Amino acid sequence: MKTILAVDDSGSLRQMLSFSLKAAGYGVIEAVDGQDGLDKAKQQKVDLVLTDQNMPGMDGLSLIRALRAMRNYQNVPILMLTTESGDDMKAMGRAAGANGWLVKPFDPARLTEVVKKLIG
Amino acid sequence: MIANDISASEHLRAQVMHLLSGVSEHGDQHLAEVERDLVQMDVLLDEAIKKLCASFMAIHRAVDLQQEALDGLLAEGRLAPVHAARFEMLRGEINRHVAAAVTGLQFQDMTSQLIGRMVQHLAGLRGVFGALDASGPVLPESNNEALLAMLSQIGNRVGTCCTERAGGVRSTVNQRHMNSGDIELF
Repeated sequence: MKTILAVDDSGSLRQMLSFSLKAAGYGVIEAVDGQDGLDKAKQQKVDLVLTDQNMPGMDGLSLIRALRAMRNYQNVPILMLTTESGDDMKAMGRAAGANGWLVKPFDPARLTEVVKKLIG
Repeated sequence: MIANDISASEHLRAQVMHLLSGVSEHGDQHLAEVERDLVQMDVLLDEAIKKLCASFMAIHRAVDLQQEALDGLLAEGRLAPVHAARFEMLRGEINRHVAAAVTGLQFQDMTSQLIGRMVQHLAGLRGVFGALDASGPVLPESNNEALLAMLSQIGNRVGTCCTERAGGVRSTVNQRHMNSGDIELF
């Protein structure tokens, strides 16, 4: 089973992400902020990372940079899932190493479609 | 004549200080009330979303079990074709409603960010009202120059508050509806 790390400080958002991804057959590890996400990514290699941008402590962009600096996360797909939709933020995400940008709220079918495209 | 001028100047100074202190005090009181209401709203929304999510998950589990039972009947051939077709149609309908609920239940993430931003703006506005308060400084001279100096000092304090806030509270939520957002792969 492919495992996805879902990083978001909103409990309800994490719950909806988990629900949608588990229904599509993926395993989900939840993290409450960037630092928690980084710690969990170090503990267990995951197949895809979905992260929010605006979180207390370590934000999504910092998490992506930290993950990309790790040898075993250089090729793991990372998607930003955020309320932000500005081109400047997307450019920053791309430069940090994100593979895609999803604007909240997400539609479960479209989310799983993108995930399937990236990790099967 | 000179005595009259001084008296008018003192009166003007007292009125200005009274006005500024009043605006500062009442403005701060009203903003404190708004801040309290916003925090309370955030707490209520947080509790509401937790209950909604719990109910959603419970309903989904129950519907799943019901569908499993119906699948069993279907596999045993105990459902008439017309009922089987109706059952399949209802399954599709339920899936559409579930997807819509998952999208809708993400509202609190956005409202919470917006409320947080409003609270930060209120803190900034309370800082401005605090800077307006003229009850603190005691002026040794009661003349127009001293009054102007005091007003200029207050103006500078307000300006500093505004500069500190400018750009400090970036807007992160621009959504105006709960339709699903764009997806872009790089």
